[in-house]
Amino acid sequence: MFSEQAAQRAHTLLSPPSANNATFARVPVSSYTNSSQPFRLGERSFSRQYAHIYATRLLQMRPFLVSRAKQRWGGGVQVKKLCELQPGEKCCVVGTLFKAMPLQPSILREISEEHNLLPQPPRSKYIHPDDELVLEDELQRIRLEGDVDASRLVTGTVLAVLGSARDSGKFVVEDHCFAELAPQKPAPPLDTDRFVLLVSGLGLGGGGGESLLGTQLLVDVVTGQLGDEGEQCSAAHVSRVILAGNLLSHNTQSRDSINKAKYLTKKTQAASVEAVRMLDEILLQLSASVPVDVMPGEFDPTNYTLPQQPLHPCMFPLATAYSTLQLVTNPYQATIDGVRFLGTSGQNVSDIFRYSSMEDHLEILEWTLRVRHISPTAPDTLGCYPFYKTDPFIFPECPHVYFCGNTPEFGSKIFRGPEDQRVLLVAVPDFSTTQTACLVNLRSLACQPISFSGFGAEDEDLGVLGLGP
Amino acid sequence: MADQLYLENIDEFVTDQNKIVTYKWLSYTLGVHVNQAKQMLYDYVERKRKENSGAQLHVTYLVSGSLIQNGHSCHKVAVVREDKLEAVKSKLAVTASIHVYSIQKAMLKDSGPLFNTDYDILKSNLQNCSKFSAIHCAAAVPRAAVESSSSEKFEQSNLQVSSETPANNELTTNGHSPPTSKQIFQQPKGIMGMFASKAASKTQDANKETKTETKEVTNVFSTGNKAPGKGNVMSNFFGKAAMNKLKVNLDSEQAVKEEKIVEQPPVSVTEPKLAAPTGLKKSSKKAEPVKMQQKEKKRGKRVELSDDETKETENMKKKRRRIKLPESDSSEDEVIPDSPGDYEAESPSPPPPPPSPPPEPVPKTEPEPPSVKSSSGEKRKRKRVLKSKTFVDEEGCMVTEKVYESESCTDSEEELKMKTSSIHRPSTMTVKKEPKEERKGPKKGTAALGKANRQVSITGFFQRK
Repeated sequence: MFSEQAAQRAHTLLSPPSANNATFARVPVSSYTNSSQPFRLGERSFSRQYAHIYATRLLQMRPFLVSRAKQRWGGGVQVKKLCELQPGEKCCVVGTLFKAMPLQPSILREISEEHNLLPQPPRSKYIHPDDELVLEDELQRIRLEGDVDASRLVTGTVLAVLGSARDSGKFVVEDHCFAELAPQKPAPPLDTDRFVLLVSGLGLGGGGGESLLGTQLLVDVVTGQLGDEGEQCSAAHVSRVILAGNLLSHNTQSRDSINKAKYLTKKTQAASVEAVRMLDEILLQLSASVPVDVMPGEFDPTNYTLPQQPLHPCMFPLATAYSTLQLVTNPYQATIDGVRFLGTSGQNVSDIFRYSSMEDHLEILEWTLRVRHISPTAPDTLGCYPFYKTDPFIFPECPHVYFCGNTPEFGSKIFRGPEDQRVLLVAVPDFSTTQTACLVNLRSLACQPISFSGFGAEDEDLGVLGLGP
Repeated sequence: MADQLYLENIDEFVTDQNKIVTYKWLSYTLGVHVNQAKQMLYDYVERKRKENSGAQLHVTYLVSGSLIQNGHSCHKVAVVREDKLEAVKSKLAVTASIHVYSIQKAMLKDSGPLFNTDYDILKSNLQNCSKFSAIHCAAAVPRAAVESSSSEKFEQSNLQVSSETPANNELTTNGHSPPTSKQIFQQPKGIMGMFASKAASKTQDANKETKTETKEVTNVFSTGNKAPGKGNVMSNFFGKAAMNKLKVNLDSEQAVKEEKIVEQPPVSVTEPKLAAPTGLKKSSKKAEPVKMQQKEKKRGKRVELSDDETKETENMKKKRRRIKLPESDSSEDEVIPDSPGDYEAESPSPPPPPPSPPPEPVPKTEPEPPSVKSSSGEKRKRKRVLKSKTFVDEEGCMVTEKVYESESCTDSEEELKMKTSSIHRPSTMTVKKEPKEERKGPKKGTAALGKANRQVSITGFFQRK
């Protein structure tokens, strides 16, 4: 891994100055293609209903699910539509799931005068034991009961259920299956170690200065200023840096100035202005040394709905001078040195976290891969553009590295699919709280966390580093 | 020896200047490779400690290596104080690098000052931040200026997509959005481009009609500067008063000189158009249209807005000039949404007052740049009559000053005049206030006159309810 490779060279820096100091050349970009075109929106029209996106989602996913159902329950299983159901007959139905949650915030209920409800405070999870599952296909819907765990599933998932309809009008489920992984093209083998650094949640403008040193150390390691020759040599093998969202902190989003009187806010500037200036300087340092891809996140100045469009280059006057800086969409899809990367800034995973009982972000990431949809809860609880022709969040093929940003802690796992697909799942932690980034080795498809720390007055250094007894 | 120079330098920095010397700071200051800087620091520490074991030196080190944590092999990079160095080293499974991070005289409580030192030196060397680094990237080549203009084209081509969003952003700002990079310059233009077709048709009609209406239409649109662009998009949605405030704010944000230079050339072009009946100094103004043309060429899309621009700039200039006058600010705010009708109404009135009071107050205020503007702003005629007046002031000194009765067409002319008259300024300080008050009087009268029978802005008819 990175550390071992770095330790291979002799330590030279605890010695008197030498005349020649090694300079390493950054590994050149051998191949890079940005395949995020499906996530780019041109002319946008919001006059459409969101029903179309569900219709196209079901239409696209149906063939995958039918083939999976036949694989799982035998070729002879009858796949029927809801309108063709006969009571008591065992068959398989493919449809979109809807979870009726009493705790789900509903704007209609809030503003309804009959109920006279106060707005609900935000909760971390909106699940409830009384949640009900409903399966909808193109024409009808039916309540689901039986061997299906409502707490784990979320609205918008397309799945196939095996069971039979009852006279009561409900469908008793015996088994269910998802679309599982899409086919995967094998990645060409690499001869040298190449790394991609994944960072998310820089959280600039957050007010807390502790993470700033960590950010600076990160930039210094990648640009080759920090460390001994071995480490610098390894850092020269970092071929790309991907900043996965939340470059600005949640604090920059405060809209106090709108509520205050104008005379009080006359000279105030939005907090995001200063934060973007700092970000520009960091991006300048990075792009002067390594290709950088910048994805927007939940708190970044771009549109709210998924897919988020790239940040505008005018915000980074210093850094856009370098062509190594790339401003990309969220979700982001690219092929770097033959390895397919696909990732988001974490809104999809955190939304599923809120509406299901799954606790581990890495587990949720794996689940979205198995469902073959990046963000099933869009547009129900997560803002989304009203697509009508295609649903771009369906996996057309399986990536090699699938990541999501802004998770509470680092997680990484190799997941194997039914057709020998091999995916590295990476949960990139929030840098402003964990001071940890991820180094993905493209040759071995392994991921190593890299963390930074300074020293403080109160904390024991060892505790801060995580090296405590 | 030359090698010893760096030791002396470090010694000076640490002991005499009491600085925190980080490897990065030393690298930029001495212009050496970062690794060499780290070695220099180490060498200095070693020697200093050998010479004088009681030396007041605190050292921080950078340690990095791998560590097994939660089943992962985690790579740790940490800045540690010297006393913790061994402890941290022992915990790491594999040590990748150790080097001196910084040297300072005082013991550091936390790593904040280290960050500040690094940040400061980085800010002053932003353009060559990877010059002394150990890694060089061949692909990281700054784009030439030519290419940066292509990025502007990229933005213009994306205006269809992005045109709504900038407009929305501008609506939600308080109108205080500070001027940022040049590339933003293009966005208001793009938005102006959307209004351009409307403006062109409107102004063409208006030109045939009274001058007042042309002024109103052009009031809506901005000058070539960025902030006015944003402010005027907002002005479409707000009334007069807000627009005035916006103009005041925009004014305060921008460089005064730039505005003067920007606006005064266009004024010369409008003056011939609007003040056709009155006599003009056309020779000087012919030079101005040329300047205006050059400026228009620079503003690609805005060529079609040239008529509007000149009127706008003249308007803006007049308004700005007034706003800048500290004394006449309050009264002139009301007069700001002026139209030529206003100015024309004013122009007959000021000529009677100046001759009627003794010529002394008038010439005495002229030398001051604000007073020059106020007098010229009041009369609103395009005439500029250069008079030389000689008089005896209260101290018994003979004063000769050049006097301008109307507003200037070119800033060069105005500056010339200002320079010549400024020589006589000190003698006229005392008599300032009286003529200004007199000017305020006529202004207010004409303002009231003007307001009654004109539409101030394009939204004016909404407010007549």
